[in-house]
Amino acid sequence: MALLALTALLAFPFDMADQSVINSPDRPMVPLSQMFTVATYVMGQKLRGRKRYPLVLMLEPLFRCNLACAGCGKIQYPEHILSRRLTPEQCWAAAEECGAPMVSIPGGEPLIHPEIGEIVAGLVERKKYIYLCTNALLLKRKLDLFKPSQYLTFSVHLDGLQEEHDEAVCRDGTYKTAVEGIKEALKRGFRVTTNTTLFEGANPERVREFFNEAMALGVEGMMLSPGYSYQKAPDQEHFLAKKRSTELFKQILGNPDKSWRFNLSPLFLKFLQGEIDYDCTPWGMPTYNIFGWQKPCYLLQDGYAKSFAELMELTAWEKYGPKSGNSKCSNCMVHSGYEATAVDDTFGSLAGFFRTVRATLAPNRPL
Amino acid sequence: MPTFEKTEPAAPPEEILQGREFVLSTDEERNAAFEQAFDYRGDVTLELRSGERIEGYLFNREPAGDPPSVSLLLKGSDQPRQVAYSEIAKLVFSGKDAADGKSYEAWKAKKKAERDAEAKRIEEKMKTDGYL
Repeated sequence: MALLALTALLAFPFDMADQSVINSPDRPMVPLSQMFTVATYVMGQKLRGRKRYPLVLMLEPLFRCNLACAGCGKIQYPEHILSRRLTPEQCWAAAEECGAPMVSIPGGEPLIHPEIGEIVAGLVERKKYIYLCTNALLLKRKLDLFKPSQYLTFSVHLDGLQEEHDEAVCRDGTYKTAVEGIKEALKRGFRVTTNTTLFEGANPERVREFFNEAMALGVEGMMLSPGYSYQKAPDQEHFLAKKRSTELFKQILGNPDKSWRFNLSPLFLKFLQGEIDYDCTPWGMPTYNIFGWQKPCYLLQDGYAKSFAELMELTAWEKYGPKSGNSKCSNCMVHSGYEATAVDDTFGSLAGFFRTVRATLAPNRPL
Repeated sequence: MPTFEKTEPAAPPEEILQGREFVLSTDEERNAAFEQAFDYRGDVTLELRSGERIEGYLFNREPAGDPPSVSLLLKGSDQPRQVAYSEIAKLVFSGKDAADGKSYEAWKAKKKAERDAEAKRIEEKMKTDGYL
């Protein structure tokens, strides 16, 4: 049991510089209960011999958004599709059907959903750890809909400092509003992380400066991923190829500031820096939305299954991931495909466990 | 100076489908047309062999299904409607393509106008100050 707790501590939150995740009482941190829940869940799947299991449900309750970001390919639908929403009952049923211990709620902008408070309350009741992904434009106004809970985290989309973020989301003033939302949520006792997508042209020094600024706000941690080259995104010129991604992440994550803390597996951060070659785990973060269970992953749309079981059983998984030769996957290093691989690596073998220990205790040292 | 792998565009330049019609007679034509319709981010209209016309967003196609079929969400209806390939005579890309990139073009144009205005303002100030 002690080993399990230690593994949990090592595998999920990642403080770049030391183990202050364990010993810093004055900074918010991922609750031990969450680490333990996820660790026991993954170990349970392993003990049952399950090769494929979901880690995080990606629940998209609607596609409508109050932004139209250049790199987003999620929201380009006719008006009558944008007006549709999952009901709270559909959301809860999906969470139960999937069984993953964590639920990420992206979209669209979930805070636009008129029943988002009810959806979240129902998921909290089911003891799901929720990451509500928001651009925070409505956060201040909607905070009253929610109660602070260890189960609920607002994951606020910030793609860099003010200039870079406003450019990425194609609207001036967005950064400022999001920061106000973060401050208010923290003041009221909510868990808050940032959620950053990087594209071609990102300046490593500016990104590092942004990390300092984000941590100074008092957030629990940061999430980080290269963008995926959505075929339907308006801007097709700024997606990162794999080699460029790893170069960029090495420049950003090398010699990290002591204040940085990531809500990511340490092995995923090593993967981003090109130190580990992982294949994708497309079933690790299955996606449910108004069309059903999306095949095969959060990013690609290759059809829909009517049930989670159908998704898991009938998807031709061997056709996806960089090692499959699928050109749509060749440059993808996105969190939703590889975080689950990294977590599985931690729990999959003693070597994986020790890799995780090493990556946590000495993040600057190559694996 | 390091050279980086250049990202290929995610998709080849697409033909404009909006407004196009396809009469479907063979399996090959159906498979190709429904793949394009599945990828299209606008409504389509199906003319069925029964004479019925239905318009909606085609969100799934199952060419290997028994029978092969498409699924649509029709305006004003909560439930998806599944239609067998064999029932469909004609496919029309009737709705506007929501992924035509217009909002991004507008943003880029706005930013360009702002930069141009700033450049002009600086140029005029330089002229006024006698530096140009």
